[in-house]
Amino acid sequence: MRSLSREKTIVLALLIQLFVAGFSSFLVVGLTSLYDPSSVAAGEVEMAVTGDAREELEAAAAEQDGTSVTAFESEAAAQRAFDQRQVDAILRGEYVPSTRGPGEQIQVTAVVPEGSIRSTLIVVEVRRVLSALERQERLERTPYLDQPPVPLPDTVSASQYFGFTYTILIPLLLFLPPFISGSVAVDTVTEEIERGTMELLRVAPVSLLDIIDGKALGMVLLAPAQAMLWLALLSTNGIAVSNPAAILLFITAVTVVVVTLGVVLGITLQNRRPAQLLFSVLTLVLFGGAVLLPEHPATTVAKLAVDSPTLLTYGHVGGAVLLAVAGYAVARLYIGRVAAESL
Amino acid sequence: MQLDKLLRVAKWEVTKNAGGVDKRTIVVMALSLVAMGAVAAIAVSGGTGAGMDDGIYRIGVDDDSPYYGVAADDSTFDIREPDPAAVERHQQELLYRGTQLQSVPRTAKERAALTELRDSTAQYNDRTLARDDNQTAAFPVSVTLVYEQQSGSSQLDPRSGDGSDGSGSSAGGSDASDGSGSSTGGSGDGSDTGGTGGSAASGGGDGGTAGGSGANLGAIGARLTGDVQGGTPSDISPPFPFESLVLAFLYIVPMNFVIQAYGSSMLSERLNRRGELLLVTPASRGDIIGGKTLPYLAGAVGVAALITAALRFGNIAPAGSYVAVLAVVPLVVLFLSATFCGAMFARSFKELTFVTVTITVTLTSYAFVPAIFTDVTPIALISPLTLVVLDLTGQSVGLSSFVFSTVPPLLTGLVLFGLGAGLYREEDMFTQRPIPLKVLDALAGGINSRRSALKMSIVLLPLVIVAELGAIAFLFVLDSVSLNVFGTNQSLGIVLVLGVIVVIEELAKSLHVYAGYEHARYERTLRSALGVGALSGLGFFIGEKGLLIARLSDLESLPIGEAALQGATLPAGLPLWVAGLLFLLPLALHTVTAAISSVGASRGRRAYVAALSAAIVIHFAYNFAVVSTLV
Repeated sequence: MRSLSREKTIVLALLIQLFVAGFSSFLVVGLTSLYDPSSVAAGEVEMAVTGDAREELEAAAAEQDGTSVTAFESEAAAQRAFDQRQVDAILRGEYVPSTRGPGEQIQVTAVVPEGSIRSTLIVVEVRRVLSALERQERLERTPYLDQPPVPLPDTVSASQYFGFTYTILIPLLLFLPPFISGSVAVDTVTEEIERGTMELLRVAPVSLLDIIDGKALGMVLLAPAQAMLWLALLSTNGIAVSNPAAILLFITAVTVVVVTLGVVLGITLQNRRPAQLLFSVLTLVLFGGAVLLPEHPATTVAKLAVDSPTLLTYGHVGGAVLLAVAGYAVARLYIGRVAAESL
Repeated sequence: MQLDKLLRVAKWEVTKNAGGVDKRTIVVMALSLVAMGAVAAIAVSGGTGAGMDDGIYRIGVDDDSPYYGVAADDSTFDIREPDPAAVERHQQELLYRGTQLQSVPRTAKERAALTELRDSTAQYNDRTLARDDNQTAAFPVSVTLVYEQQSGSSQLDPRSGDGSDGSGSSAGGSDASDGSGSSTGGSGDGSDTGGTGGSAASGGGDGGTAGGSGANLGAIGARLTGDVQGGTPSDISPPFPFESLVLAFLYIVPMNFVIQAYGSSMLSERLNRRGELLLVTPASRGDIIGGKTLPYLAGAVGVAALITAALRFGNIAPAGSYVAVLAVVPLVVLFLSATFCGAMFARSFKELTFVTVTITVTLTSYAFVPAIFTDVTPIALISPLTLVVLDLTGQSVGLSSFVFSTVPPLLTGLVLFGLGAGLYREEDMFTQRPIPLKVLDALAGGINSRRSALKMSIVLLPLVIVAELGAIAFLFVLDSVSLNVFGTNQSLGIVLVLGVIVVIEELAKSLHVYAGYEHARYERTLRSALGVGALSGLGFFIGEKGLLIARLSDLESLPIGEAALQGATLPAGLPLWVAGLLFLLPLALHTVTAAISSVGASRGRRAYVAALSAAIVIHFAYNFAVVSTLV
């Protein structure tokens, strides 16, 4: 049962998960840095402002860190600066009669470079400046509004990856081990059956139930061990994970459910291909269907990890444990009835 | 390879294995697929609307504070009674009385919560003001965004000529409104999808603003193109084809199920010598492998065609056409061939599971990451999925882009099938051999004589190209992030690309030589070693000229692409003898480095590793010198 290859396999499994995690964080960090000027050492965005509303535009841009503006009297001069790459964008602001009702509005035409890796960043900066302009103008026109806009809270420097770390990365890291454990459980059962080595095991004075129990136990223990490793790794990286005990309990319960599913599928279908296929489809359906719960399991993990648990969160942990115990009991009843000779 | 035998094996594969799946399984499968659809439908319709980040921040706020409405509308926040003691106990992140923030955000979580609150306040204002009677005061600023080439510089964008990406429509709108007529890049003629075209037509009448808002209210087809930019400042979105990427992901998902079934089927041939039966039939190896692969290939491509048809006639992406399906074919081949190799290498189902997961992750990232940059740079064309995104958004795909994007993965897939086929024989299929030995077996399968070294170097080249392109795509992001790290003119990205490429190339040149020695295909003499190495280098040089395919895509216009491809393309306007020298220098380099590692390979494993490292260092020094002086 514990073949020598096991150790290598676990290393491989860990490497793969590390790769998945590293890859997804890389992707998000890379994407975010495309959008966020402060995270990139690519420097400020230079903008040219022209038109009769240029003073308002300048005032709006003054609030922004990542932007510096130059006012141009004539449009042609601004266009030249743009073509010679002295500025990254042109903002042309004109007062025009409003298309939405009485009064005047500022019509801004923003020219940004096409097809450059920086254009994403520039567009984001343009949007920031114009949003600031919009806020200013709204403030001046507050008397005409039914209800004044809610003032924006101050900006503070905060990690932009905070939400991602707790709501995506940690759940991803913690739910991968149960899934892989379940998948490997399918493999161990079907492989014994397909190779015909189940016969050999049955010669030993153990019942089918014992064999299956032993196999399942190995798989179930593996997942929380990996989860624990992830939590330790995260905390050495300065990402504090709260409530580790509750999280591990929850992950263990989920693993029991998933592994039970895998073992039952393996025993029933006896063939790796359909069993494995059905296993992945069913797990996906279960995981997706969990949306119907008041709180998705991923959210449960996220709330525990970020230390915002509610009663509902603990309710989900308890529910998962109950489900695991009940599912395992039912599966044992079922396997006990399967005639061992038929395998 | 004979067609009728191949088809017969394919028929067996379908009937035998369909028989293996009993009716009960099919019923359960169908039921779960239906359930999956139902779940997806519920998630899309937003019926329950449970987000991943529900209630992770707790805010203490009274219902007379203006922020109460903000927090109530954003499920990220969990509203509590304001309680300074709870803030002290870290049970509330933010505390508001009226419009005044009472707590001081210190921890990372509290800061993140405040930033989140700022974002949702802005959105909340936009939502409430949209209901205001005085719309001029509510939205005093209207914006038209125009994408324009910065003239007088290198043309980075291969698509500048056709301008079919919708920027034309907004440019047209701005011209109508202020008549400056300065836009040069947006010379498009609105040859986009129906939705965008319609909004552009309506926007043309009364300026860019109406055009923009029209697009926002339009069908998903209009949003797919994502290029009509107008309206209020918050309507502006960066060029990022989000919806099309999600749709492109739809094409990748079924492949993972297909390769799972395919891998199982291939590996089960190896259990209990079952494959023996097929091997002793008159059918050749090619027939067997081809026949067993065909149903899965057809199935995967069929699913892709179904998805395209559904998207097209479901009016989600009305522009989807056969181009998308064709672009998926190389990806399918790549997925299947990698799985085939994996099934040949794996020793048990457990290992196969891990191999399958690795393949899924690696190939999905290969296909997906470059496609993110579809609208931004030509590097995106490295992945065929970019073609799918382009096709779904209704942009035209040029023949050269198509070839550039599909040929390397297709060839790689075929090479992988070839390597796997080297293992499809009794000695390897039914015995447990260590994996490194199997790799050598697979390589040695194609070696007969000394001249094979030349052949193998050429054959392995698609693998090299794909690996190098993948490296470029990944390090490309780094390039924009960390310019001038070393204080030299070379960015960290370029240095890394050079390093990775050198390692890949040297391995590709020498590994099969080493395999040949281990299998005693070559004599272990110095002369023979030098000869084999030189031939391998020559083969690689010839094949490398295949990198000229990169010219098709303007990749070299980017500095990082130029660094990777130097040697394959020649700078224009040089005297003939310099050009000749530049042409021959890489040949000398490849021959010398290959000969070094070949000599090492003839002396056993340790010598091989040492010689390989030496070759890598030499190659890197050469490349770095060339890039520093020429670029």
